[in-house]
Amino acid sequence: MKREIPIALTVLCGLAIVWSFFTPSPYADAVNSELNTWALVFFSVAFLLGIGNLVRISLKQIAAGHADAVFKVVLLVVLFGYLGVGLLEIHQQRLGLFGSSEGRVVGLGGHGERALRDWIYRKSFVPLQATMFSLLAFYIASAAFRAFRARSLESTLLLAAGTIVMLGQVPLGDQLTGGLASRALAFLMVHVNGAGQTAIIIGATLGVLATGLRIVLGIERSYLSD
Amino acid sequence: MATLGDLDRRWIFLAMGLLVVGMYAAGVKADLPSSPYVDSFYRTVEELPPRSIVLLSADFDPASAAELLPMYTGVIHHLLARKLRIVNTATWPAAPPYIRQEFARIAPLYGAVYGEDWVELGFKPGDDVAMGIIAQSLQNAFPTESRDGRSYADVPLLREVGAGMQGIDLLVTMSAGYPGILEWIAQVGGRYDVPIVCGTTAVQTPDIFAFYPRQVRGFLGAATGATQYLQLVDEVTTDAGVTAIKEENQRRMQVQSWGHVLIIGLIVLGNVIYFRGKRAPR
Repeated sequence: MKREIPIALTVLCGLAIVWSFFTPSPYADAVNSELNTWALVFFSVAFLLGIGNLVRISLKQIAAGHADAVFKVVLLVVLFGYLGVGLLEIHQQRLGLFGSSEGRVVGLGGHGERALRDWIYRKSFVPLQATMFSLLAFYIASAAFRAFRARSLESTLLLAAGTIVMLGQVPLGDQLTGGLASRALAFLMVHVNGAGQTAIIIGATLGVLATGLRIVLGIERSYLSD
Repeated sequence: MATLGDLDRRWIFLAMGLLVVGMYAAGVKADLPSSPYVDSFYRTVEELPPRSIVLLSADFDPASAAELLPMYTGVIHHLLARKLRIVNTATWPAAPPYIRQEFARIAPLYGAVYGEDWVELGFKPGDDVAMGIIAQSLQNAFPTESRDGRSYADVPLLREVGAGMQGIDLLVTMSAGYPGILEWIAQVGGRYDVPIVCGTTAVQTPDIFAFYPRQVRGFLGAATGATQYLQLVDEVTTDAGVTAIKEENQRRMQVQSWGHVLIIGLIVLGNVIYFRGKRAPR
């Protein structure tokens, strides 16, 4: 029964979703809505499981004196600190924990009840994530010099296409080529890329459909660790 | 040449850093000619009758804000200047602070009233499943609005939005990846009669060409699309903020131009060294 019940539930839910997607009826909509809500509940529980697992692993490494222990401490402090600020501000907003929330401004550059949370977000998370992403410019430049070689016909075509896209995307490209770069870019994007993308999407969708059918029909059981 | 081939990559980092900082300090900016995709995005918004309701989804985070935030800001200006009403959602957890920040700044410029002309619904977890629920019943997805916690039925704007995207005249998504425009197309475009337009990152833009113009009426591709769109929006709004963002983006495009030229130069140099090395007698 450890196998049969999960498979039966999967088949039932899968068929119900497919049925509701293609059947315009209030019953189908109700079933779909209910199953989607369950999916959201599972999704939220997965968040909690993720946090639990992260805390467990981090605590283990801290206790064992791992080389990264100090980073794990920072991780836990930030995780629970930000969570605490969020919960406190929600309570402030909903329950008026510190008196009326009407027009309350924490005064750290934000506005309203979420000022502290937003301030922390803007002053730490935004610059950190933006910095991480900005580093790509440096690594791409380095990789372009070291790895982007015309070793074969395919790599030469890729190199030529990449150069055209880089030139066509920016105003200087057209200034240097008299408008040729953006026209070449449009041709590449619409005809070559568009056709390729369509083919990939159709192929991938057929693959997903086949996999979905195998799961719904109980043939594919790898999700049960079979 | 052999010495150049062993070039320490820190020299490349330094060259890129100096180029970006130098060009940015120079402050050179340039007008960009608009593209048909941006024109189509703009026209789709312009063709909506006043008081239409637009579902605007902020599906991005700080990593992609350099590309998508100017678009998002431009869209809010454009919609409110056209007297269109906005229902704002997010399927990325890091997006709501941007929503709060931008609406708090822009809405008063157009005299937009919260709950009547725009409403914040906040973040909905669940990726494409959440999008399906939003499309199926906005009220089920968001029983309360996110700013004041008022119930759905107490918000005049939301009372006009029914199940199955009823009342929504346009879906606009600022999409940084998964979940984003491709999932909105699957969950909304394929099931409901609601036109979709989007703004995308450079990485995601090539994916959209396959869907234009039937499933996606128009799109703003990366910083280039954002700049082209802001140029158009700047013509219909009187706010100096839009002009400032437009000019900032035009400057960034010049910086990006020279960054691309440097990368192309490095590719050429790398290949020259490679081919000379192949021909040299061992």
